[in-house]
Formats: sequence, C-alpha cells, structure tokens
Amino acid sequence: MGCPRCNPTPVKAGRAVGQIALLGNPNTGKTTLTNALAGTQLQVGNWPGTTVEKLEARLGDLTLVDLPGTYSLFATTPEEKIARDALLDDPPDALLVVLDAGNLERNLPLALEASELGLPMVVVLNLFDEARDKGYDLDPDRLAALLGVPVVPTVASRGQGVDRLLETAREAPVPAPAVAYPPAIERALAAIEAHLAGPARRAKAALLLAGEPINAPEAARQAAEAARRELAELGLDPFLEITGARFARARELFQATLRGHNPRPTLTDRLDRFVLHPLLGPVLFLLGMLFVFRFTFLLSAPWVDLIGRVQEVLASWIHGLGLPALFASFLADGLVAGVGTVLAFAPVLFFLYLAMSFLEASGFLARSAFIADRLMHAAGLPGRAFIPLVLGFGCNVPAVYATRTLESFADRVRTALAIPFMACSARLPVFVLFAAVFFRERAAMVVFALYLLGLAVGLFTAWLLGRFGHLKPSTGVMELPPYRLPQPRVLLRQAHARTMSFVKGATGPILAAMVLIWALLHLPPGPLEQSLYARAAGALARLFAPLGLDDWRLVGALIPGFIAKEVVVGALGVSFLGSTPPAALGFWAGLGQLAAALLAALKGTLAALFALLGLPALGVTGGGPAALQAALKGAVSAKAALAYLVFVLLYTPCVATLLALRQELGRRWTAFAVGYQLSVAYLLALLVFRWLP
Amino acid sequence: MRRLDELAPGEEARVRAVETSDHVLRRLFALGLRPGARVRLLRRAPLGDPLEVRVGEAFVALRRAEARGVVLEER
Repeated sequence: MGCPRCNPTPVKAGRAVGQIALLGNPNTGKTTLTNALAGTQLQVGNWPGTTVEKLEARLGDLTLVDLPGTYSLFATTPEEKIARDALLDDPPDALLVVLDAGNLERNLPLALEASELGLPMVVVLNLFDEARDKGYDLDPDRLAALLGVPVVPTVASRGQGVDRLLETAREAPVPAPAVAYPPAIERALAAIEAHLAGPARRAKAALLLAGEPINAPEAARQAAEAARRELAELGLDPFLEITGARFARARELFQATLRGHNPRPTLTDRLDRFVLHPLLGPVLFLLGMLFVFRFTFLLSAPWVDLIGRVQEVLASWIHGLGLPALFASFLADGLVAGVGTVLAFAPVLFFLYLAMSFLEASGFLARSAFIADRLMHAAGLPGRAFIPLVLGFGCNVPAVYATRTLESFADRVRTALAIPFMACSARLPVFVLFAAVFFRERAAMVVFALYLLGLAVGLFTAWLLGRFGHLKPSTGVMELPPYRLPQPRVLLRQAHARTMSFVKGATGPILAAMVLIWALLHLPPGPLEQSLYARAAGALARLFAPLGLDDWRLVGALIPGFIAKEVVVGALGVSFLGSTPPAALGFWAGLGQLAAALLAALKGTLAALFALLGLPALGVTGGGPAALQAALKGAVSAKAALAYLVFVLLYTPCVATLLALRQELGRRWTAFAVGYQLSVAYLLALLVFRWLP
Repeated sequence: MRRLDELAPGEEARVRAVETSDHVLRRLFALGLRPGARVRLLRRAPLGDPLEVRVGEAFVALRRAEARGVVLEER
C-alpha cells in the first residue's frame, strides 16, 4: 500500500500483549471481520458493568477486540459510550477502522475522528464487493496517500483481504490529524489540549469543547467551558463547527477516492417495495414472527425431550445403585433434576439466538421495528420491543435477553418488566389441567382470556413505568441496514457462545434452588404431610385464604413453581396422589433407552424441519392424569381455581427469568420486578375471586 | 418553510437546518441527515408513522415528530 507519511511505530510496551481494536459504524460487517480474523478463538462476553456484548479473541501475543458499532465518538447510545470510553480510557495498541465501502462518504467522518486518537491505524474498506455492485469504482491507494495510513479493501464474508490485516495493523503508522478546523476552533482546541496529556489529546479536546461528558482533568474541563463561552459570543456552536469541518473533509476525501459511479438499484431497493409495503408488509411481518416462533420451539422440543429422558434414565440408575433412599433421592431428584432444568433451557435459547441473529444480521429486525413502531408507541414502547414481547409467549428467558437489541436502558427496563407477564409455554399445562377440570366447554376460551390478561398487564406495566418511572422513551431515529445474507458459520458460533454463557451463569443458582426445594420436600424424612414443604405450604395457605385457596397442596405447588412453571403440575400430582420412586434400571437397559432417546431426538428434529413448512396445529389438548383431575375437582371451587390460574399466570415465572433480568437490568430492578409481580398476581387473583360472578 | 414530514413519497430535497433536541440532532447528523445533505422520502410505515428516508447510500427511519424538526430548502 502506498503511504508516504508512514513511520512504523512498534506496538506499545508495558502491556504483555498487543491489543488491536475494531472500530466502525453499525452494519459494516465488523462482526463478520472479527470472526474471519479470530476463527475459533472468538469469545463472547460482556463489557464490564454492562450487558453490551463484547467479542474478543486471543491470537498468539495479540488480543482482538470488536468495539460496539459506533457512528461517532459523540456518543448517543450506551454502545457508543462504551466504544468511546474504551478508546479514551483504555486505548488499544492499534486500530482497525472498518468502513462500509458502499457508503464511504457517510463512514469517513469516523475515520477522521479516529485519526485524532494518536493511535497506529489501518482503514479497512469492507463490503468492497457490495460497493462494486452498487456501481462504485474506488481507489484505495489514493485514500491511503491522503490519510497517511494503509487502506485495505476487504470482503470479510469471503475472507478476502483479511490474511495480512493483523500484521499490517501491527506495523501501522500513527496518522497526522486529518481535519483542519476553522481558526477560532483550533485556538480553543489548543487551549484545552494544554491541560491534557497522552496521544488522544486532540480527540479529547474536541469532545470536551462540544460538551461531551468524558473523563478529563478539572483544568481541561474549565478551559473547555471558557472556550465554549467565548465561541458562543462569536455565535459559533462547537459541535456544528467540528462536525461541519469533518463532513467537508470527508466529502473531499470521498471525491478524491472515487474514480467513477454508475448508480444501480440494489437488492434492498427492490425487496423493501414488498417488505415495507403498506398491506403486504404487515402480513409478511406476522408470518415471519410465526416462523421464528415455530422454528425455535419445534426444533428445540426434541432436544428438551432428550434431556428429560436422560434425566429419567440417570435417576433410575441411581435408584438401582443400592444407596440409602434419602441419599439416592438427593442425587436423583435434587442434583440431576437441577442440572436437567438448566440444560433444558439450552436448546430453546440456542435456536432462538440463531433466529434472532439471523433477523438482526439480515436486516429484517430493523424493518420489523419500522412496521411495529406506531403500534408499540401506544404503550410508549419503541417498535423494536415488539419481537421480545412476542417471544415471551414462547419462553420468557430468551425474550428478556432479546431486549438487548433495544437502544436505551429505559426501553430495556420497560420491555423486560413487561415480558414475565406473557404466558410462556411452561404455564400452558397448568392452565389446561385446571381448565379441563373446571371450565369444560369453555376451556379454550378461559385459556385464551388468560393469555390476553397477561398481555394487557404487561403492556400496562410498560406504560405505567414510562408514565411514572422517569424513564423516557428513546428516539425513533435508526438506520435500516441493507439486506444481507448472514454467514451461517458466524450465526452458529454466536448462538453457541451466547447459550454457553447462559448455562455457565445459570447452573449455580438454579441448582441451588432445586436442592433447596428438594430439602423442603424430603426433610425431615417421612410422609409428605410432615415435611418442611407441607409446613411452609400450610403457612402460605393462610395467606392465600382470602383468594379462596386454603388447601396447602394447591398453594404449596406455587413454591417449586417459582423455580420453573413446568413442575407445578408434577408437584400437584405428588401432593394429591403421592409419589412412586422410579423403577431401578440396569446399566444396559438404561443405555438402550438413552440410544433410543437420541435417535428420537434426531428424528424429531428432522420431522420439525418438515413441520416448519406446514401449517401450525391449533387447539388445546391433554389435561393431565384423570386421577389428578378428580382430586382437584373435590379440593377447590371453580372461582378459586380461576384465581389460582391468574396467580400462576402473573407471579414470578421462573428462576431463570430472574437471572436474565438480573443480568440485563441489575439487582435493584430485579428485586422490584419480583415484588411487583407478586403484588399484581395477588391483587388480580383476589379481584377475580371476590368480584367475578 | 418546508419540513421533511411534508415531502411526498419519492420527492427529494436538500436539508437547510435541523431544529430538534440535542440528542436527536446528534443522531441525525451521525446518520448523515445534516445541513447540505440531499434527502428523499421513500415511504411511510403502514400505520403512517414512522417515515423512511434515503440519505446518500443510507436508509434512515424516523418518526414524524422528529422529521418535523428537519427544515428543507425551498425549491
């Protein structure tokens, strides 16, 4: 590459490894480039103290960090703030500035800002093939000569141009500042820079002058404040002056780099005519939602079943070992069941992450937000909140994680607190059981009404928090990225890493909760009526008497229901009918069952792929064992049963959802959520019992 | 004064000034919607709001209330 002002600087000493950071606008293929550079070394984590995802890789003596997508160091989103603070407070040893070659004029200002950071830098013109398809003929060498840094054209999705990128970055020069500002601004910058140290002085001075809240010495802040006042007297707005100069320079550089341009309509122009069509758009959008929903749950179901079967076989083996009964039960019903509960989430999360990453990387997620924005605005939520809310009907856990795609923390809080009221698939068996016993012909209607009630309470919660929680909704300004076919390899790797990060974080707490429930049920040894569980349930039953629920066996099932709603029906069965320990199973017989279960899961996945293309089956089936139905009928009135269902619908969905909330929103909001859910559940259940005819 | 929300689909104009809150202004600037830029209204969302505009090579969505803050040059 031609670069006349090159003066290679070695990687900074003092750090054990060199760090190379990728900086770029959103949707410039940064993640794909990181994947191409990092290969299997890619790690998914979070930026410290936040839920913003951090992609990182250790490659020999180098670490590679993918900074969150950023339009400018003038940060307007939490992601942009993280990227800026990382660059200023913990600067990398070299920068790869990734630009979308097909939208170069808009992308160049970020490279100009980066040139003021005083770091070795390489400009990457990614999506070079797309730029060519759009009719752009660009001259990278000319841009390199003008900027004084290497400029490398790449097509990250096909690995073109990436081989020597890291070496180039290591040997990259520090560019001279690329923008000359008007004299008044230059004087102000010099005055602020006098109070700053380090290579990023110019960048920091510009940010301070425009009033950005960055870390800086008090003297520099005061100098910036004084300079702002002086400029204001001249009628100059520092932000407008600085960005104006950068945009003008970006335009010059773009014109110099451009050898020619014959505009051609792109795939995006053509597709959007259908996807965003006033009538066709919403229909396609709903079909797409249905597809994501079915994709996730149809494909994960066989694997969730497999995990259940493995759990059963392990329990049978344990009971066949001849251990003391209490200890065997602890291993089988405490530990194995606990690990099984965690793992059962993994397939659901994996397929959902796969679908979400596809929607996001392909450009469909932004379009769905565009279509749903007006609708969601009624509850004070942005359009992007629609998909997490709908996902909540499948499983609350990934739905809460999906709120990450929302821009502002306020939106995330409001959506994440609304999600637990969406009736997830685990609540359905409880509804179906009671509806079958108490509301025979109207069973489907009652279940449907419960779903609507959950949705209404959720939307009302979001509205309420916006109204009184001092949580302002975000702007509707967003880019609709061009349609792109995502790389399956990248999607799979990301879905896998995200799922593993859940399993790692959730195993401890869920296991602890399961062991606690086991202890309640089995201690002191003896009949269930004398267990700690029965005593706790008895105390709770007094609290629930105003709802017409004074049977400890009913109320007790709410305790394990706190961990996962899947176990409520099982707990009712044990309380009303008693339990029978699983039959002991020989080693070989168990192995045979495991093999059969694995085969069934593979067959089930194949069947699910075909079922995906078919029509969804509707209707409420099942209803639990007949003996349990009969026992329930005698235990409680229809009205109290409805109150019970309302409580089950609205109270804390499961420990895993709480863990997701804690990860996304922090402890305080999670504690608030639990208190709020319990109060709302109790109040509405009370209302149903007292006021319904 | 013509404003961005008054354009008909397919119509193009040059931005004269952006008069919105600081936060929205910085976001619009970052996406290329700034004085001097040529902007074309592509379509309105099915429920009439938000709008989709094209600025250079970028597709940008913004609400009608936000588009009102974008002042256009007269023809």
